[in-house]
Amino acid sequence: MNTKTKGDTLFLHPKRNRREKGIRSIFFIAAIFGVITIFSILFFLLKEAYPLPTDLWSFLSGTKWSPTESLQFGTYPLIVGTLLVTFGAMILAIPLSIGGALFISEIASTRVRSIIKPAIELLAGIPSVVYGFFGLVLLTTWIKDFFGVPTGETWLAGSIILGIMAIPTITTVAEDAIKAVPREYKEGSLAMGATRWQTIHKVVVPSALSGITGAIILGIGRAVGETMAILMVCGNAAIIPTPLWNTFSPIRTLTSTLGIETAEVPVGGPHYHALFGVAVLLLLITLIINMSAVYLLGVLQKKHGAATKKKKPVLSVAIVVKIKKIITSLALLLFLLLLYLITGILLTGLLFLLGVVCWVLIKKISQKSIQKLAFSTIGASIITIMILLGVLLSYIFMNGTAALSWEFLTEAPRNLGRSGGISTALIGTLYLVTGAIAIALPIGVGASIYLTEYTKESVMTKIIRTGADLLNGTPSIVFGLFGFAFFVLYLKFGFSLLAGQITLAFMIIPTILRTTEEALRSVPQSIREGSYAVGATRWQTIRRVVLPPAAPGIITGAILGIGRAAGETAPIMFTAVAFSSFFPSSLLEPVNALPYHLFIIATNVPGTAARTAAGGTALVLLLLVIGFYSIAILIRNHYQKTMKW
Amino acid sequence: MVEEEIIKTVDLNLWYGEKQALYNVNMSVLANKITALIGPSGCGKSTLIRCFNRMNDVIDKCRITGSILFDGNDIYHANADAVEIRKKIGMVFQKPNPFPKSIYENIAYGPRVQGNNNKKELDAIVEKSLKIAALWDEVSDRLHESAMGLSGGQQQRLCIARSLAIEPEIILMDEPCSSLDPIATAKIEDLMLELKKKYTVIIVTHNMQQAARVSDFTAYMYLGKLIEFGPTKQIFENPKEELTENYITGRFG
Repeated sequence: MNTKTKGDTLFLHPKRNRREKGIRSIFFIAAIFGVITIFSILFFLLKEAYPLPTDLWSFLSGTKWSPTESLQFGTYPLIVGTLLVTFGAMILAIPLSIGGALFISEIASTRVRSIIKPAIELLAGIPSVVYGFFGLVLLTTWIKDFFGVPTGETWLAGSIILGIMAIPTITTVAEDAIKAVPREYKEGSLAMGATRWQTIHKVVVPSALSGITGAIILGIGRAVGETMAILMVCGNAAIIPTPLWNTFSPIRTLTSTLGIETAEVPVGGPHYHALFGVAVLLLLITLIINMSAVYLLGVLQKKHGAATKKKKPVLSVAIVVKIKKIITSLALLLFLLLLYLITGILLTGLLFLLGVVCWVLIKKISQKSIQKLAFSTIGASIITIMILLGVLLSYIFMNGTAALSWEFLTEAPRNLGRSGGISTALIGTLYLVTGAIAIALPIGVGASIYLTEYTKESVMTKIIRTGADLLNGTPSIVFGLFGFAFFVLYLKFGFSLLAGQITLAFMIIPTILRTTEEALRSVPQSIREGSYAVGATRWQTIRRVVLPPAAPGIITGAILGIGRAAGETAPIMFTAVAFSSFFPSSLLEPVNALPYHLFIIATNVPGTAARTAAGGTALVLLLLVIGFYSIAILIRNHYQKTMKW
Repeated sequence: MVEEEIIKTVDLNLWYGEKQALYNVNMSVLANKITALIGPSGCGKSTLIRCFNRMNDVIDKCRITGSILFDGNDIYHANADAVEIRKKIGMVFQKPNPFPKSIYENIAYGPRVQGNNNKKELDAIVEKSLKIAALWDEVSDRLHESAMGLSGGQQQRLCIARSLAIEPEIILMDEPCSSLDPIATAKIEDLMLELKKKYTVIIVTHNMQQAARVSDFTAYMYLGKLIEFGPTKQIFENPKEELTENYITGRFG
């Protein structure tokens, strides 16, 4: 037999190989886009922040932020404001979220879970400007009346709103972490006669601890970066509360400073540079926060993944236990001291006694009763979350229906939105969202195809993935300032539809990338091997075998991105929007948008007519976004059920 | 009939990262025979079979030295193309892995990715492949239903039919019966005996009775090394190496 001719067919097909390489490089370009974006954001913010009007030290430690009158640029009160409001939010959000996560993953029946989980995800979908509106009209009034304080626009209001907003982030990520605990651990514990609660708090929670911590840190990151809601309910006085725990003091955060002042600042002046300095500061803070969350969540993955090399512990177990004991008692003392400072000796003593009694009781009562107690606490937290969601939704609904009519949807606003409708805002939002998804979808999907299908895990993929994670945690207001500096000023787009679309696209690329990657990874490797084994090329395998079953997941991600883009205000505030009664006739004209329209008439236009119109706008925006989210959740749930491997 | 050598490994070494999984494997496989690879878990038999169609290419940190000659040409040569090799050397996997498509599209997939979209030809290929795989009678009335609805044994025969549709010269089977019940296993074994008339079959199996029943040649591997390779009868009845004998007789610890 002539082996030569036969074997020749084994060799490379230059044409096909070129095509495969070409396709691969297209995906590669999409993938490094995220990294380039994060660096260019940092670069442009730094470029615009230079030169700072003061030296770095007084910029960070100066106690007075008065950029227009006395030209003082101390960000210290803003940093303190951000920390305090976030701290308060976490006191509310952490227990509720962890209770919620435990309930969903460990206690709820499948039926209950299938209702509660989407409900919490809906909470994540509500636009921050709607939260702000809710806080402004209901919460601040309630605080004012209930506590008898002169104004309800306070630290307390900000923390409550922010706490509610952080719940879905923490709950869903913590739930993922708890779900990742291998079932064998639980079965091992139950098999030795432990109760379900003992199993949860002695086995499940400890193994998921790094993931739960990561979830909390992500929630903190989200809270630190939130702009619109905070801006609307916190009063925005750049002061440090006196005394520090005066929760009825107005407060101003880094983000709200940017939100309020950027639109009116003279470009190139000291105030302008100072604002970009604040943006850099904010970006760096959130970068650090998110990096630590990413790291902690990575630890979790490694722990349950392949066998890891055991490192020899630096300290012996006995010493660690001792240190833990010391830290716990110190924390207890500190807590008591704080309590004493705030409430006085009598109450502290009482509470301490109560704590001791509880502790003794818990030691005495049976494991069964402890379990009952624990489960009811967890149940209470999930009920609280549901009540919060219910109050919020029903309030927006009841407030909005009065304004709702066909004219409201189809007419342009008149008299600063007091009469007429919201047609320009509605159409503007649709334009913005369409453009954003048209840009973000190819890049996000392309990048995730590159990451999952073309690369072996390497330094490069780690850099790309970290870039996407950081982009995901970047506050939306920072995107806004970047868009302002880069598209509006540097590329001379002006306030335009195009600048808004690209800025929004940058913001939702990580969402799409993440969900697509997840969808691609859920396609089993064996299917790919089956395709390779019959001589399919990589691209043929991706297009014909991997993408079709992953399509529902990708569509879900796209719709989530659309929902997010439709609800965001901060990124478009300095790039695209104008409170206008006209439709844009080209990509380079400004547009109106629903969230912005709501923000303006809720905060800047006085009168009951404006209040009614704001209620209507909030309802339309909420329905629009919830509509997108519901479709996404339905698609996902449907395919999770029907797709089995 | 002259026995013709179709594929052989020459000094084949393989590493997964730092860990070496194959050591200097030299074996040659004869055409139209069934060659079984046996040995304890982790001995490298699955790794070796995946070398024959360069399936290890898709695994992270896998490094290979040495060569595999297929009809005299090195499939690990710098210019050799894995896609072309896999068209000639098909594979059936441990767990049935049908695509989430119809039965028809599963089998037409291979010809389609190679550019054949002629409906008549595809119909003929699908029927012929299913018939050889002894699945035609069971599924001919529901070719356009999802392959995910078939039983495990049917799915595995579908995967065999799928690999036949591209007319390979060699069919690699990586523990094809490990997830099947005895009846489905018997069907696949009958099928293998049928297949060797036209194809060369290399099979990895955990089941020594299976190797003894169906194969013409048997290779015993242990800790990444090829310990003994010869006619099945000789390996099972009169092994030359003590390690092989221990394994065959169940004295392996």
